[in-house]
Amino acid sequence: MTLLVASSLLSPHFGLIFWTLIVFAILLFVLGKYAWGPMVGALDEREKTIEESLTRAESALEEARKMQEDNEAARRDAERQAQSILRDARDASDQLRTEEVEKTKAQLAQMQEQARADIEREKTQALTALRSEVASLAIGAAGKILDENLDDDRQRKLVDSFLDDLPQN
Amino acid sequence: MFLVPRLRTLPAFLLSLFAVVLLAGPVSAQGHEDAQDVVHEEELDALHHSADGFYLDFTPGPKVQLPRIFVVRGEDGGLGFKFFGSTTAAVESGEFVAGAAHGEDPEAHGAPDDHGEAASTESAEAHADPLEAGIVPAHGEIVADLSFTRHTIFMMLAALMLLIIFLPLGAKYRKGIGRTSAPKGRLQNAMEALVIYVREEIAKPTMGDKYAKYMPYLLSAFFFILFGNLLGLFPFGATMTSNIAVTAVLAGFTFVVTQFAGTKDYWGHIFNPPGVPFLVKFIMVPIEFLGIFTKPFALAIRLFANMTAGHLVILSLIGLIFSFGQIFGDAVGWGTSLAAVPMTVFVYCLELLIAFIQAYVFTILSALFIGMAAAEHEHHGHDDHHDQTAHEKAVQVSSGMSTDGNGQIYHEPEKTVGTEAVLALAPA
Repeated sequence: MTLLVASSLLSPHFGLIFWTLIVFAILLFVLGKYAWGPMVGALDEREKTIEESLTRAESALEEARKMQEDNEAARRDAERQAQSILRDARDASDQLRTEEVEKTKAQLAQMQEQARADIEREKTQALTALRSEVASLAIGAAGKILDENLDDDRQRKLVDSFLDDLPQN
Repeated sequence: MFLVPRLRTLPAFLLSLFAVVLLAGPVSAQGHEDAQDVVHEEELDALHHSADGFYLDFTPGPKVQLPRIFVVRGEDGGLGFKFFGSTTAAVESGEFVAGAAHGEDPEAHGAPDDHGEAASTESAEAHADPLEAGIVPAHGEIVADLSFTRHTIFMMLAALMLLIIFLPLGAKYRKGIGRTSAPKGRLQNAMEALVIYVREEIAKPTMGDKYAKYMPYLLSAFFFILFGNLLGLFPFGATMTSNIAVTAVLAGFTFVVTQFAGTKDYWGHIFNPPGVPFLVKFIMVPIEFLGIFTKPFALAIRLFANMTAGHLVILSLIGLIFSFGQIFGDAVGWGTSLAAVPMTVFVYCLELLIAFIQAYVFTILSALFIGMAAAEHEHHGHDDHHDQTAHEKAVQVSSGMSTDGNGQIYHEPEKTVGTEAVLALAPA
């Protein structure tokens, strides 16, 4: 009996074959059209979108990194430039000041020199004028002496006192 | 009230429901025995429970008879449709009488009062239950029996569930949920995971670039089988995939799809195997030709046998309770249930696993056969032994070999159901 029941397990029922054929064919068609199609299509699309946005994000990140690097480089460059300008300015100002001081010193020295020369000249002129004055005075005095016939001693005394009266310079 | 939170976790709910039914089963049967004291009523025939029938079995509730549809050739030779609401109605109409259907022995479902005479159907007909013994027309003969059976109903139920679940999901994806945004809801996420699994683990590795064309078939087959397998695990359910008719039709679909996918190379390999000496071709061609049919045949048998076996084990374990109870008395029967019920629950969990594994196995083998047939490759030269074509690779993979990319072939350990289970369980 068991064997015979087992044979019923193995003998396919025609109706079931028939219905399975129909039902599965319908299932395949309907699900293929209205379920699997949209599902698989949507999954593909979503994956593509995700992949694309990942690639985009990556490239954007890359771009941003590059931009940051550029910025950094530019900043560093600008800093370097500013520093060099500052240094140049400092150097220039230093130089300018030194030059200015030198010039002033030179000018002062020149002015001093000039003043000294002026004084010297004035002095020489004064002395010259003085000598000529003294000479003419002496000549006048001599004339007067000659007029009055002074003796030798008196003459000597006169001249000496005159010379003493003269200013030393 | 306390059941409400439990209902939220489906697996736990299923298990508890199953346990309740399992525990209720022996109790009611034991009570039955006390009342009637008939040994035969006690018998739990595992094979009979796995087999198909023209009724839904809600034991200990009623049996619900299913409609009978026949294409009948009358005595005058004309074809006609006969439709009855139930087997009983068919017999009561007088057009059909209980008896052996399609050459089945009337003893097959033997009532105790059978005479055992195959020829004396008249005496058997009078007593046999038409539901079990089958019916034959009083006049004329049955050309085709299109009657609904238990498995037909559950097959249609599985199909209906597929439609109910996946058509709204498809509409959801069409609307853009899951297309441009993330999938919403548990159902969509769960089903999407399975769909992606079929695509990534089944279709792509076996078919390469051509997978998209065969996705609808693979998905339909996978979910149809999966739902069919799972429906059989519900109380009062029946496993349509444990019926050879269903698995044969599914394998038939794989067969047809494979042949339509077949390229020139596929047919060339069958009818003119390249690189084979002329005389050997006389042996190779018939073998290759037979191979076209043995592959789907193996598919059908594998699914049928696996799904039947699991249920037979469960039913046999439960049957142990009654067998021991019958031989050694009620107390031993109850004692046996202490061991048999946990074992049954274990096998039931195993069945749950197998429901997924067999759906996976059927689908991946179908994909492999289709992929092998659809593979195209250049013709074999004398010096391209190292240039492996997709077809050759597919053949090697199917026979447990694999290549390491440089054309070097190495053996992979043979895949058994055990390793399949491990592979299926392993996180991707």
